[in-house]
Amino acid sequence: MRVLLVEDDAEMAQSLKASLAADDHEVEIAGDGELGQSMASTGGYDVIVLDRMLPKKLGVSVVRELRDQGVSTPVLILSALHDEDHRVEGLNAGANDYLGKPFSTRELLARVRALWNGRDREPQTKLAVGDLEMDLLARTVKRGGKKLDLQPREFRLLEYLMRHSGQTVTRKMLLENVWDYHFDPQTNVIDVHISRLRSKIDRDFAQSLLHTVRGSGYRLEA
Amino acid sequence: MRPSLSLLRTTTFRLAVAQAGVVFAFVLALLAYVYLATVGQLNADADLLAQQEYAALDRAYGEGGIRRLNQEVVERAARQGPLLYVLAESNGAVITGDFQQLPATPAVGVVENVDFNFERIDEEGSAVRGRARGQVGRLLNGPILLVARDLGDSALISGRITSVLWSVAFIGVVLSIASGLIGSWLATRRVEALAATAHEVMGGNLNSRAPVRGENDEFDELAIAINGMLDRLQHLMQVSRTAGDAIAHDLRSPLTRFRQKLEAAIEAPPNSDADREALRTALDEADNVLNTFAAVLKLARVEGNVTWRFERVNATNILRELVDFYEPAAEEQDRSLKGEVEDGLYIHGEPGLFTQAVSNLIENALKYTYAKGRVELRAVRRPDGRIEIAVSDDGPGISPEDRDRVLERFVRLESARSTPGAGLGLSLVAAVARLHKGGLHLRDGLGGHGERKGLGAVLVLPAMSAS
Repeated sequence: MRVLLVEDDAEMAQSLKASLAADDHEVEIAGDGELGQSMASTGGYDVIVLDRMLPKKLGVSVVRELRDQGVSTPVLILSALHDEDHRVEGLNAGANDYLGKPFSTRELLARVRALWNGRDREPQTKLAVGDLEMDLLARTVKRGGKKLDLQPREFRLLEYLMRHSGQTVTRKMLLENVWDYHFDPQTNVIDVHISRLRSKIDRDFAQSLLHTVRGSGYRLEA
Repeated sequence: MRPSLSLLRTTTFRLAVAQAGVVFAFVLALLAYVYLATVGQLNADADLLAQQEYAALDRAYGEGGIRRLNQEVVERAARQGPLLYVLAESNGAVITGDFQQLPATPAVGVVENVDFNFERIDEEGSAVRGRARGQVGRLLNGPILLVARDLGDSALISGRITSVLWSVAFIGVVLSIASGLIGSWLATRRVEALAATAHEVMGGNLNSRAPVRGENDEFDELAIAINGMLDRLQHLMQVSRTAGDAIAHDLRSPLTRFRQKLEAAIEAPPNSDADREALRTALDEADNVLNTFAAVLKLARVEGNVTWRFERVNATNILRELVDFYEPAAEEQDRSLKGEVEDGLYIHGEPGLFTQAVSNLIENALKYTYAKGRVELRAVRRPDGRIEIAVSDDGPGISPEDRDRVLERFVRLESARSTPGAGLGLSLVAAVARLHKGGLHLRDGLGGHGERKGLGAVLVLPAMSAS
């Protein structure tokens, strides 16, 4: 996957580039907003990772102008200002995801993958991972043809995991996308929700679908 | 010492001077009017009378010559009345008349209007001074005739009126200037009191406050506004000062441990498992430091002058979802979390901050309650129209004297010292409450453990109507 990294802090840029390269991405770096924008509009990248505070042009303006030009490459904004109003501003400008600094490298990698996998997806009414099936219209879940009884919140959690099946999904991604919470709970709340969900979808079956990725999060995979 | 405001430079004094000018101009206009209405009228009457009398005597002279004229003058002068007569020869020597001088000796055929002072001897033989107005003219063949009206009392009256008006003008001007001086002196004193406060604050005494007299006047209003501003500034300064100290204090320990772990790892013989473990703990310490920073920044933004985009927030939904979110974790930790949330609670606010504030309260309660402990979230609309969200536990609670202190930024009771980040959670809730024009209070909680009463954290926010 070709990733454009627009980041003015050279040391940070090199370190992120190394991490992304280790995750099999081809990375190019732009050191300011104007260069980033011109590279983004011509370079044919798969994902753009954009710092919010950039010399010459702010990240939010870069996204807005790219979208106005019709460039639909998924954009992830990185920001030291991780507050509700800034996040909303970034997303309204056309960014697809917003990650506050400091973040772990695994978090960034998971989100870059999620952006790539989430692009140009047709609206679906049915999801399936192995013998686990979800009907989004009937709001039902079956595994091996057997109906599973899920709470509404468990249903949305599973839906998100199924939409990102095969990828690592971090706790933070679950918090933001399933609960729309943008703070870090001090306790292991997400893990408990996952273990409850796991007991419903995996307990009576030989093959486990919901895996824990140590240090990162979870992955639903057949 | 700072020079005090010069009285003559004050706005009030300048206004008073302008007012004195207006009073003076008004009195002048009044004077002119009264003069015309009294003195002017008197003079016009006198002129007319004298003119008619002169004409009558001129006719008598034409009919009977100097003899007849002399006779007429003697007769008329003898009558009681305000008219005075003098008949003189062509050289000006008086033949007969009320007094001995002529105010003018006109040429032949000329009649002059005159206004003059005279002196004559009255019936008792004493000299009488007076003022008169009339006509003097030289008749055919030379004799001079004067007919005048004695202005007498009426001149006196108009003179008095005039002098009274001048006095009034003078008193008016003096009073205006005096009241202006007093007014500006009073105003200056109030302004100087405000200026003195400002100078004291500039000099570093942030506790100084402008005096409020309780008269509800514009100066009180200004003083109250200035004091409010100073309170806010002082609070912010206090907050940033405490925060600076506390951040330094809170970051020092994790950074020291961080450094010590790294140093130990370098000193120790290479051992990849131990090195990895050292790096992992170092990473945790770094995260602690960064989390503390993030919490401080967030608090600063909530307390600072950032304009948050407020919207209509369905508090009922958010509260129920929070209970739903934390309930499994609570159960996992052998605690119970129950929610009792009224339908249709809405607030005007920032949903993210509101959610985080309540989640802080829930996490706090879960953290401090015991195994098998209970945490309850109750949200109701109070009769006064405000929404009360109470998160209560049956943990150790906080003694009443510590309750105010614990809401201050970074203050953390000794018992909680070892818990990272615990100093900021309640301060953030309190700051979010203030941002939403509400408040956070602490009270007894659910009780149940003997002497321990637990803790109830009560968030009170203004409600928005359900529709």
